[in-house]
Amino acid sequence: MQHKSRMRIIEYAITIWVIITLNFLLPRLIPGDPFLVLSSQEAEDEEIILSEEQRQYLFEYYGLDQPIHKQYFVYMGELLRGNLGFSLYYKQPVSEIIISRLPWTVFMVISAVVLSTLIGTIIGCISAWHREKWVDKSLFLFMIFFSEIPSFLIGLILLFVFAAGLGLFPLAGAVTHFADFQSGWSRIWDVIHHAILPVTALTISHLGGTYLLGRNSMTTVLEKDYLRTAWAKGLSQSRIIFRHALKNALLPIVTRVFISLGSLVGGAILVENVFSYPGLGTLMRQSVRVHDYPVIQGIFLVVTILVLLANFLADLVYKKLDPRVSS
Amino acid sequence: MAINAHLINISKKIGVLSDPKNLTAKAKGHCQKIAATIKSFTLLGKFGLTVVTFFVLLAVFAPLITVHPYDLPSGPPLMAPGEGHLLGTDDLGIDIWAQLCRGAKISIIVGLGTALLAGLGGGLIGIISGYVGGILDKIIMRLIDIMLVIPDFPVMILLAAFLGPSLTNIIIVLALFSWVSSARIARSQILMLKEKTYIKSAVLYGAGTWYLMRKHFLPEIFPLIAVQMIRLTGRAIISEAGLSFLGLGDPTSKSWGLTIHYATSFKGIYYTDFWKWWLFYPWLFLMLMVVSLAFISRDLERIADPRLRKK
Repeated sequence: MQHKSRMRIIEYAITIWVIITLNFLLPRLIPGDPFLVLSSQEAEDEEIILSEEQRQYLFEYYGLDQPIHKQYFVYMGELLRGNLGFSLYYKQPVSEIIISRLPWTVFMVISAVVLSTLIGTIIGCISAWHREKWVDKSLFLFMIFFSEIPSFLIGLILLFVFAAGLGLFPLAGAVTHFADFQSGWSRIWDVIHHAILPVTALTISHLGGTYLLGRNSMTTVLEKDYLRTAWAKGLSQSRIIFRHALKNALLPIVTRVFISLGSLVGGAILVENVFSYPGLGTLMRQSVRVHDYPVIQGIFLVVTILVLLANFLADLVYKKLDPRVSS
Repeated sequence: MAINAHLINISKKIGVLSDPKNLTAKAKGHCQKIAATIKSFTLLGKFGLTVVTFFVLLAVFAPLITVHPYDLPSGPPLMAPGEGHLLGTDDLGIDIWAQLCRGAKISIIVGLGTALLAGLGGGLIGIISGYVGGILDKIIMRLIDIMLVIPDFPVMILLAAFLGPSLTNIIIVLALFSWVSSARIARSQILMLKEKTYIKSAVLYGAGTWYLMRKHFLPEIFPLIAVQMIRLTGRAIISEAGLSFLGLGDPTSKSWGLTIHYATSFKGIYYTDFWKWWLFYPWLFLMLMVVSLAFISRDLERIADPRLRKK
């Protein structure tokens, strides 16, 4: 067992190394000169044309005139010190920009994970309890349908119906700018009010998976002998479902939460752009628009490593929760 | 329908062509098999099949059923759906219906291109990994493990940003991140088949690698890979739409995601009614396509996977 968990750690370390190396190599492998175009096609940005001396200076500044292995060691060293480079567009260290945006993305993803897991599990339990009856069948159809729609499409329709059409929610952003809040509560409400639609979009598209898993896992547990005993003891329906059965059905759901983080992050990047939510996703789009490669790479690195850490955590949690695996 | 026809084509190439005498009889058998498969679809699967057929027809007959060009202005800008323009026009006066028909084609090209590349490529890697075994298998398995934990969408953005927007690049990027599932399926099937008695006896009788592949492995593995390819088609269409929505799509492609991108980038879109046709119809088409493909693959998975069939 010891050996196996050590293997897992080595595997994760290799994965992270592959990602970092990919991140280092990509811009250097792609033909073209990063400083040839420091502008974009968008009308609002001014065209910057560099002279030959300026280009030489930038090449030396970024160390691009060094041999590639030297560049690699310098890059790794800087990375270990937490230096992700300097943004060409924002004129700020990349790590600073990312740290200022990261909390919004994390907030959104975690809210969506918690909500979709809770709601999905509860509906899954209800469905399993009424298995093969019309409640189960209609819930199943409904959930299957929604689970297949990508989150940004759900986000778009929510935005246009509830924010643009009905005016119930703000159109963009995460807080009301320049607002004078009377109390802490109104500030918190403002944040929640802005987050409702994006979080709902992510939650809905994520609900189906949890629901199916909850339903299947619950159905398996409900057929077990100890639940027949619980029935025979005359326990109430809700007690049987939520105390006796759920505890045993929960394990696959918990692991799924972590495993699905990767796809959820992809969804979050798109949903943020639908709602102009000021997280890493919108930052990524802006950086792509202005060809700010250090920022794109920084976000990629941070997001990927966070997801990997979550997966690693899932491995650990699973071992703690399931006595069969750890023994 | 068209996807099924496509599947017959491929299975013909692999299995039937080697035996031209039985071609018609075998083709008839295939048709009956496909008809039986469609009959055993659930209601959702049939719905999905109808919708996908509709989109395929739309893509194939796009030049015949659209009056206006998809890339040139043909009317006043931002016209509501009505006379002359079935679904209205965008901010440049380009007909939306023509754009959407073109988009159907792009979606199908991206979806099928990715699915073929990833499905066949992944299948091949899986077959080699399972058949050869040893150190090569170990390396490929570790690679698959790595690919599985990397969140694919951020990597796709990074690659698309560096490679530049073009349809071929997008297909390559998408395929790079979708071959894993087919590879795993093919590998596990090979490993399972290798232990079967009839394969072992075939080997004892002197069957070579190619004979085994053609007669035993490929016919078993291909249906599973084909089902997986339909799922990959749906995924690829979603990812292409997502990338295009972020502005990383091919600007000349006029895909549905790109139409949504232009509509949401339009400054006054939230305060006017333009979204009711400019944004809504590409949204609807995209949603229907993705959901339908998912329904079809769900049904096919149920039919192809004997483990699920028992339930």
